[in-house]
Amino acid sequence: METASNNQITEEEKDILQEVMNISFGKASADLTDVINAYVVLSVPDVTLLKAEKLPDYIRDDIKDYNSISIIEQNFWGKFKGICFLIFPSRSGRKLVAMLGEGDDSFEQSDTMAVLEKETLIEVGNILIGACVGKVAELLSEVVTYSPPRVIFEDSPKKNISKDIFEPESMAIIMKTIFSFEGQDINGFLFLVTSQESFGWLKVALHRFMERYE
Amino acid sequence: MIKKILIVDDSPIARKILKKCIPQDRGYEFHEAGNGLEGLEKFKTETPDVTFMDLTMPVMDGIQALEEIKKCDDDAVVIVATADVQVKTIFRVMNLGALMVLKKPVTKETVEDALLKARVSLEDIRR
Amino acid sequence: MSFSQIFDMINMGLVVIDKEMNVRYWNRWMEIHSGISSDEILNRSIFEHFRNLDTPRFNRNCKSVFKLGNFCFFSQKLHKYLFPLKTDSSFKADFDYMQQSCTMGPLRNGSGAITDIFIAVQDVTEVVMYEQQLLEMNTKDGLTGAYNRRFLETQLCKEMERAKRYKRPISVLMLDIDHFKKVNDTYGHQCGDLVLKTISSVVQSCIRKTDFFARYGGEEFCCILPETKPESAVILAERIRKGISKKVVKCKKEPIKVTVSLGVAGATEIIDSPDRLLKKADDALYKAKETGRNRVVVFNDKKVMA
Repeated sequence: METASNNQITEEEKDILQEVMNISFGKASADLTDVINAYVVLSVPDVTLLKAEKLPDYIRDDIKDYNSISIIEQNFWGKFKGICFLIFPSRSGRKLVAMLGEGDDSFEQSDTMAVLEKETLIEVGNILIGACVGKVAELLSEVVTYSPPRVIFEDSPKKNISKDIFEPESMAIIMKTIFSFEGQDINGFLFLVTSQESFGWLKVALHRFMERYE
Repeated sequence: MIKKILIVDDSPIARKILKKCIPQDRGYEFHEAGNGLEGLEKFKTETPDVTFMDLTMPVMDGIQALEEIKKCDDDAVVIVATADVQVKTIFRVMNLGALMVLKKPVTKETVEDALLKARVSLEDIRR
Repeated sequence: MSFSQIFDMINMGLVVIDKEMNVRYWNRWMEIHSGISSDEILNRSIFEHFRNLDTPRFNRNCKSVFKLGNFCFFSQKLHKYLFPLKTDSSFKADFDYMQQSCTMGPLRNGSGAITDIFIAVQDVTEVVMYEQQLLEMNTKDGLTGAYNRRFLETQLCKEMERAKRYKRPISVLMLDIDHFKKVNDTYGHQCGDLVLKTISSVVQSCIRKTDFFARYGGEEFCCILPETKPESAVILAERIRKGISKKVVKCKKEPIKVTVSLGVAGATEIIDSPDRLLKKADDALYKAKETGRNRVVVFNDKKVMA
């Protein structure tokens, strides 16, 4: 098998990663259905390799149909290290609250409702991100830990995510999926981004994954 | 007896993995296709004994390809190999006449088990 | 030496629960703050002692940790607390229970399978108290305890948007103290302040929990009245006017009597922005001043009428 230097990912490695993502997200969606009692559909993930500084433009291009958005971000740590962005069109919080049946009488006050919506976005975001990242890590025999998710924009007009997440010159792998809850008008994008820092481990892990079949 | 195996999957890696899980010493003849439509055509021209079918593929997905294959030959032995392991999906493909669902990642053991089931099914049909 | 003694010395709660939701570990911090000893709770369902935890949300999160191996975070903002634990005496007045920020995560056995989950409990009561104080300083007027103008304006935007969305009525009420300058000049600023406080408490006692009362300017106050038509707002304004006119403020042994003028306006298809609504209420207030003070004037679509 060919192995390029640590800051490059070969076409073959990209193909393996694509298949690893397919398998992981399939498992994630089955487990998610079990956890949140809603049929979660994850589109075939798209794996792209690009310069870190191009990341905000790449994401902006994908969400051009959304007028206003909520973005949740969450870091994950370990040998597999990176950041996840979950982008919902605005007013998804309310729909999620309704879907999970959380909106009882005690939340009628507008203030509390806003908090509930935000917290539900965070909770569902945490579970979605945990499922996707966790399954990829699991398939590659790694364990990751997570920072608490943060809402960086809430129902706000589109702004770009920060350019400074990674070293601008470094490369990043961006794994994208579109998720939706069947029967509900709720969907959005999940971007899983891992930087050059993880490439060394990732390359070894991908080859080790293939070695199982040698 | 299984002689010809068709593997339909858009991912070359997935096809490679599946092939590696099949014992090489049995003299199987392999055919591959990168999407459902190509798979359907290969099915018609090569008439494989067993078809491994992925579900999410461009051009024509595995569900549709499975339906078309079953229209050509109701006895076709199709094993769906997929990462989509939602109960709903499993029901759907079983209803369409798939022999079984093989969960990804596949292993030598699960593939061997699937081939055994395929052999039994083929013997039943031919008897 | 066993490092596990740290678990009993650390200033945070640590709980381990297995797949059947039975408690497998309960550290000393949890013993002290819950009053439940480790012996009492070990190998029993967590719900036996904490029935409040048996909610869809908590169960969903536990399930996600077992199934997906992810972490879950129970923020204080929504949950206030997971475990109803006693809070230190100095905070008792403000909080029923200790405010907590909790984290939940997986514990794996030698072969990597998740067998248990841990919950780490952090006491954030003090932080929350400072946060609330800060929020209060930012949103309230120090003298009267009414909201400040900035808060009122942001709140009015929200409430008007809500009223529009659900097609509900909304009114605002502007209040100004008559001849307040004279009070200050005659009795001094201390007495002026006392008058402001008194008027503030009269208004507070007349309005509902869902209304917002703010000090708008020097001697000018404003009320947002959601779910209220101007007709009902006028009745409230009258009650406030009468209440204040009956009140005698005693300052430096001098009895002071003041009256107020009030302007009322309700949102309509034309009066559809916070600025416009405030302007119309202000116009009505001006009219009340002009026509003799100590009265209520309501702005009515086209013409201002008393």
